[in-house]
Amino acid sequence: MIKIEHVSFSYAKGYAALKDVSFTAEPGEGILLCGESGCGKTTVTKLINGLIPAFTEGCALTGKVTADGLTVAKTPLYELAKRIGSVFQNPKSQFFNLDSDSELAFGLENEGMAPAEIQSRIKETVLSLRIQNLLGRDIFSMSGGEKQTLAFASVYAMRPRIFVLDEPSANLDSGAMERLHDQIALLKAGGHTILIAEHRLAFLMDLIDRAVYMKDGQIQNIFTVGEFRALTEQQRIQMGLRTLLPVEVELPAAREAGNRQGLSVEDLTCAFGKKSPVIGKLSFSAVPGEVLAVTGPNGVGKTTLTRCLCGLLNEKAGTVRLNGKPLRAKERQRAAFCVMQDVNHQLFSDSVWNECGMSDSGAAPEQIEAVLAQLQLLSFRENHPMALSGGQKQRLAVATAMLSHKKMLIFDEPTSGLDYARMLSVARVVRDLAKQGHIVLVVSHDHEFLQCACDRVLTLV
Amino acid sequence: MNATNNKRALTGKDVITVGIFSAVYFVINFIFMLLGGFHPMLWILMPGLIAVFTGIPYLMMCAKVQKPGSVLLMGLITGLIYFVTGQFTVIILITFVISCVLAELTRRQTKYRGSKGNMLSFVFFSLGMTGSPLPIWIMRDSFLAQITEQGMPADYIATLKAVSSPVMLVVMVVAPIVGALIGAAIARTMFNKHFIKAGIV
Amino acid sequence: MKQIQKDRYLDPRMGALLLVLANVAAFSQKSFAVELSWIIYLTLLTTLYGCWIMALKWLTAFAAVLLIQWYVLPASPMVIATSFSIFANYARRMFPCLIVGMLMVKRTPLRNLIVGMRMLHIPQKLIIAISVTLRYFPAIREELGYIRDAMKLRNIHGAEKVECLAVPMIVSAAGTAEELSAAAVTRGIENPVRKTSAVQLRLGAVDALALTAGIAFTAAAFVIK
Repeated sequence: MIKIEHVSFSYAKGYAALKDVSFTAEPGEGILLCGESGCGKTTVTKLINGLIPAFTEGCALTGKVTADGLTVAKTPLYELAKRIGSVFQNPKSQFFNLDSDSELAFGLENEGMAPAEIQSRIKETVLSLRIQNLLGRDIFSMSGGEKQTLAFASVYAMRPRIFVLDEPSANLDSGAMERLHDQIALLKAGGHTILIAEHRLAFLMDLIDRAVYMKDGQIQNIFTVGEFRALTEQQRIQMGLRTLLPVEVELPAAREAGNRQGLSVEDLTCAFGKKSPVIGKLSFSAVPGEVLAVTGPNGVGKTTLTRCLCGLLNEKAGTVRLNGKPLRAKERQRAAFCVMQDVNHQLFSDSVWNECGMSDSGAAPEQIEAVLAQLQLLSFRENHPMALSGGQKQRLAVATAMLSHKKMLIFDEPTSGLDYARMLSVARVVRDLAKQGHIVLVVSHDHEFLQCACDRVLTLV
Repeated sequence: MNATNNKRALTGKDVITVGIFSAVYFVINFIFMLLGGFHPMLWILMPGLIAVFTGIPYLMMCAKVQKPGSVLLMGLITGLIYFVTGQFTVIILITFVISCVLAELTRRQTKYRGSKGNMLSFVFFSLGMTGSPLPIWIMRDSFLAQITEQGMPADYIATLKAVSSPVMLVVMVVAPIVGALIGAAIARTMFNKHFIKAGIV
Repeated sequence: MKQIQKDRYLDPRMGALLLVLANVAAFSQKSFAVELSWIIYLTLLTTLYGCWIMALKWLTAFAAVLLIQWYVLPASPMVIATSFSIFANYARRMFPCLIVGMLMVKRTPLRNLIVGMRMLHIPQKLIIAISVTLRYFPAIREELGYIRDAMKLRNIHGAEKVECLAVPMIVSAAGTAEELSAAAVTRGIENPVRKTSAVQLRLGAVDALALTAGIAFTAAAFVIK
């Protein structure tokens, strides 16, 4: 059982992240924490797994949190770890070992469990979660979804009574989300208490008992699942929540290859390293003014395709044409740009303004100003790029591409971890770019986003 | 764990932070180590060159973990990886332990804050890498004996002696001191330009 | 998926001992016969652990160093000869260390290394820090790949590149440190109890044999001058 009583919390910088938050979760209950980014739902998860106050020196915390009979603030984290399991958002930074077997044993070894018992726990975990395919693997060769499953399994093996999940679906494709759904269902059936902070809600609707809706650090409302489901579309949108119903992508297929205008990909074959071709004889085209969605399960070669179109990878066979003219890889590097999933990798300068001046386009100050204004970044011109929010970083990357006159823009998973309003704002940017005559491709698993931002879809199989 | 009772002990988070920045430190170190393979002069100057380019990860680690033991951990990791992969002799472990103890003492004296104290500790820390070329001098006699046995001309041996002369030993030791001062200055610039503004430290 | 036969793993404790012995030999031995037998013995050991291609490479490399030292350097111009004879000498002495070291890299998984360190009672904090360092190496490679890609698309060249590498690298390291700590601490890494290991290390007959021979060679290095 979890009990949060009159908790207020502010970070060292002074702003209040939580104001007088109280609620309880009964044993075996599934509780959803929802609300816009920054509403405090992640902060609530940290109250329960003990990262607050352990990881937040110099912050102000009042009120009381108990979980499974322990007063969180007074219990060492390793004691909490035995009863409260945590899964986080980023699959890349949750594993401690290089191989999956060690990762599964990690928590149990920390507890000092006898080796034979560890082995039987792992066996049992593998059976219940059906993850035989993850055994004996090099974690760096695993997909994001597989890493997330492994993180879940490694916590599951410790058999905590309470599970705290902080946006576990942020980086998952629909297949991996189904697996996550089944895993949570298994927890539910096993009588575990589950607390899950999420933006993507549709897949959780049959797993939760109550939904805690937060705004500006306060609990606005606690719904039973029935009440939550009964919210009208209008109410849901007003609350800034993502769709509660599953969305299918219903868009016309991508245009056939051979367009004289825009991008035309003809019998493209590309492979990464010595392995067999990931993309084989692919043909399609994309015209300026339209946004083309690219979807498909993990490991089907979306990243390979993106890198090839941007000229970061040489094609093995086939042609990539822009306005009828075949482009070699080097030329594509000049013509195309990719907004990466982790946009931190592509911002280098010490201020928003200088970032824009860096591109060797020799853009005039007026031009920079115009582009920044269009992307709502002008008031941040002196800020450091790394101090911006995720959405602002994305837009800054877009600004650099616009200023160097790139004709083709590819977005790689631009909505991972975004709430409804921020998702819409990405959709707006994408639409605007297309309207201005750019060729825009969006690689994403986010059906709700694809449906509202794109015109056509290319499904890789 | 006593970590929770004693605020000065390294917590799990501290140790992980040290581990991550040690990896960044080691990668840069390794690149220049390979460079040292082109010419003995480069090898002798290598500890100095490394110091120029590793100020950022070292000082970032110092800013993140202001507790005793962190620098010693970083040095031990570097020394151990070089030793265990057989690239350097056990000497490098010894020099790293000595230099890290000196760096730790400096940090303790300066209360783990303040750029001057951390800069000085970086100078000591950077001296740890002198353990890599040091065997040139330690093995000098047996080197020379072996070469003389092969019947090499006298001027050849004279040149060799010059490379491994005590003067060069001084050069080898002074290089990381100068290098660390430059490296710390570069790091300071980058901290002011980027990392403080970005809210990382 | 690479699967190595269990008995082909090099025990980390044994590897560490061999390394110490190789170091002692590097500093003390003077006889070519002892040196050569060390090398042959260690390459044989390498084949025993299943890396016979690596063993062949080591033998070839050693022969090459000898050739260079004996025939190429004396015949080369002074500048080259003097500068590279130091390397040739150092390389010859380091050969045993390198062979054992690379065998460790190839045949001691990180997991066994950690178990080995626990059995040797190395302080837990040092073990955690080292394993994080080793785990972060492949992540650095991955990151560098992304950053290089991004720089190509931004057309960044020359000296600017160094600064452009440093910023995202350090930002990402700081972020990973934070997130990895959260994941590790909530799985009990700070638990003060003695950590156990799911896998057990057992010294086999090959290990024992190898060690005895290693000690014999080290002794020989002292006795035979």
